[in-house]
Amino acid sequence: MLSTFLSHQWKDFWRSRNKAGSIVAQLVLGFFMLYFLVVAIAVGFGMPFMIEKFFPGRDVIQIFNGFILYYFLFDLAIRTQMQDLPTLSIVPYLHLKIKKGTLVNFLNIKSLFTFFNFLPLFIFIPFSIIKIGGTYGALTSLMYVVSILSLTIFNNYLVLYLKRKSINNILYFASIIGFVAIFAALDYYNIVSIRAFSNYIFMAVVKLPLLGLIFTAAAIVIFYINSIYLRSNLYTEELSTKDEKKVSTDYAFLNRFGKVGELAALELKLILRHKRSRGSVVMGFMFLFYGLFFYRMPLINNDQFGMMLFAAVFMTGITVITYGQFMFAWQSTHFDGLLINKIDIKNFIKAKFLLFTISCTIITLLAGFYGFMSYKLLLLHLAAYLYNIGFATVIVLYFATMNYKRLDITKSASFNWQGVGATQWILGFPLLLIPFVIYLPFSFLDKPYWGLAALGAFGLITLSMRNFWINLIVKRFEKQRYKIAEGFRE
Amino acid sequence: MLAFKELKKSYAGRTVVDIKDLKIEAGETIGLVGNNGAGKTTLFRILLDLIRPDSGEILSKEVNVAGSSEWKNYTASYLDEGFLIDYLTPEEYFIFIGSLNNLSIADVSEYLKNYEEFFNGEILNRGKYIRDFSKGNQNKVGIAAALMQKPELLVLDEPFANLDPTTQIRLKSHIKALKSSQRLTTLISSHDLNHVTDVCDRIILLEKGIVIKDFYTDENSLKELEAYFSE
Repeated sequence: MLSTFLSHQWKDFWRSRNKAGSIVAQLVLGFFMLYFLVVAIAVGFGMPFMIEKFFPGRDVIQIFNGFILYYFLFDLAIRTQMQDLPTLSIVPYLHLKIKKGTLVNFLNIKSLFTFFNFLPLFIFIPFSIIKIGGTYGALTSLMYVVSILSLTIFNNYLVLYLKRKSINNILYFASIIGFVAIFAALDYYNIVSIRAFSNYIFMAVVKLPLLGLIFTAAAIVIFYINSIYLRSNLYTEELSTKDEKKVSTDYAFLNRFGKVGELAALELKLILRHKRSRGSVVMGFMFLFYGLFFYRMPLINNDQFGMMLFAAVFMTGITVITYGQFMFAWQSTHFDGLLINKIDIKNFIKAKFLLFTISCTIITLLAGFYGFMSYKLLLLHLAAYLYNIGFATVIVLYFATMNYKRLDITKSASFNWQGVGATQWILGFPLLLIPFVIYLPFSFLDKPYWGLAALGAFGLITLSMRNFWINLIVKRFEKQRYKIAEGFRE
Repeated sequence: MLAFKELKKSYAGRTVVDIKDLKIEAGETIGLVGNNGAGKTTLFRILLDLIRPDSGEILSKEVNVAGSSEWKNYTASYLDEGFLIDYLTPEEYFIFIGSLNNLSIADVSEYLKNYEEFFNGEILNRGKYIRDFSKGNQNKVGIAAALMQKPELLVLDEPFANLDPTTQIRLKSHIKALKSSQRLTTLISSHDLNHVTDVCDRIILLEKGIVIKDFYTDENSLKELEAYFSE
């Protein structure tokens, strides 16, 4: 039976309507995964050397032990965000003569085939075999491997269970991520050390290898809890969405913008009431930390803004990029409805500008905390912000008129390539390159602040030309709308 | 009211709409019948300027519908769920559509009171988004929202499909009432010959985009149509 299910899944993939698109997407995704796996294998085999390099003079095994639980804690946080529930695929089988247990088994087995389950194996097992085995012998080595496997499976089913219990509950996601963040912070400030705890546990395993079976027991327990819950709740309704009362809402602050505000409110509801768009918003906030990777004190001290420009433009314009790249397609399900109603296209476009401006402003204000690093970053952000609301919005909306791909926005955003077409790839180039083109000449002349000023001025000028852009985009939209509507109907 | 002139549309060499000359007078209730692929929905989409015809034009009150949005001021339509903004609650949707037609929230709720019977307690205050309703109830939302705009021209694609019997009968009598009270011009497509002959006073039969029959209904119409389709 299980093999039949698998063959159906296989056919489902190969016969899907937008096969070409999904294959390309899978290939791209596959490359990413391959990349991560290669990195993981490299980390796995290079672990002893890396530990020695980063923590010179410390006991390698102690560091390794400390790292294990730490990893699985973060694993948990990432899984809650990214791992999908394998549920909907069983709907056509529920009414057939198939035992519930078989379906539950299928779901359980299918859920094992996720990227997150392979990653830790590559990272931890080489070290467990080579170093641990070399030091403490075969049995300890074996129990390390068993422990790692068990922890992986434990996390896998724990996340699935929690997700099933509280589907679509943002509070739950936030609390798990908060929980992990608090632990990480406690560890970082040496209040409660997870690394010491992890090391303590695994040193115990070294002394008494069979203790590793505790992890296995925990994995088995959570596996059964999950299975029992699934079996007793195998109803499509309960597997897909929790029914809560939906209420009508009104965004008073948008009312002052009249008809444009109404359309913006409509779109705001769209963003908040769909999984994919909500995911993009969350991602936007996550990217606020992007600067931590790019902003370096030496760069700041030497006024080398060119190296940080990308991060600044990307951060302050994240909503323009993530939301804008699928522009109009967000509304693909009811695009016909928008066209036949008495909606002025000008207002329609203006509403989008309004949303972009508001969201960029919020993000830029939030990114103000980088000001603690240096006031220079605030200047950088200001220039990037002006560019984003002035010109990036225009690029995005202009390119949107070439996007004919329907978007399914009820699915989650992470690793979702549905609706991605050439437009999205082409779009990024001008958007992210233009700031450099403006900034670089000044940088060569050793006038970095003039470069920022030029970028800001460019943003301001394009911003003041907004009416011109709106007319341009409206004209373009009028020409393209039949084609867009046709594409969205498929 | 409406004039179709030399209208042609084809997809991949297959003609879907090919109408030489067709006029519809104000106040007429037109029933569009034909098997799947006859071009009914495509015709409606061209009429609503959602599809560009290959050649020809549709004049609504002497103005070409393509390139002008004049017609939107007096036309209301519901073709399929694609017309609904499905992540809104029905109340939000009605208010939004109302606001496009300069109706206040009070106007809208006043209007919706008249439709309590039509909704049969299934639509309002259910705490659901439109996407969570059944297809029949989505239809009701779409049709009610179209009628709320007090149109002179009403376009409905298979309005009776998915509706429960009670609502079908109510919708029919409602359309008839609007015709006499507001001189409403209505275009309805349907596969249900009973309903069409009952509610419409003129039937247009399409096949592969061509008008095969065009006649005013009388007591023999239903038989005539049944005879045609059983051949």
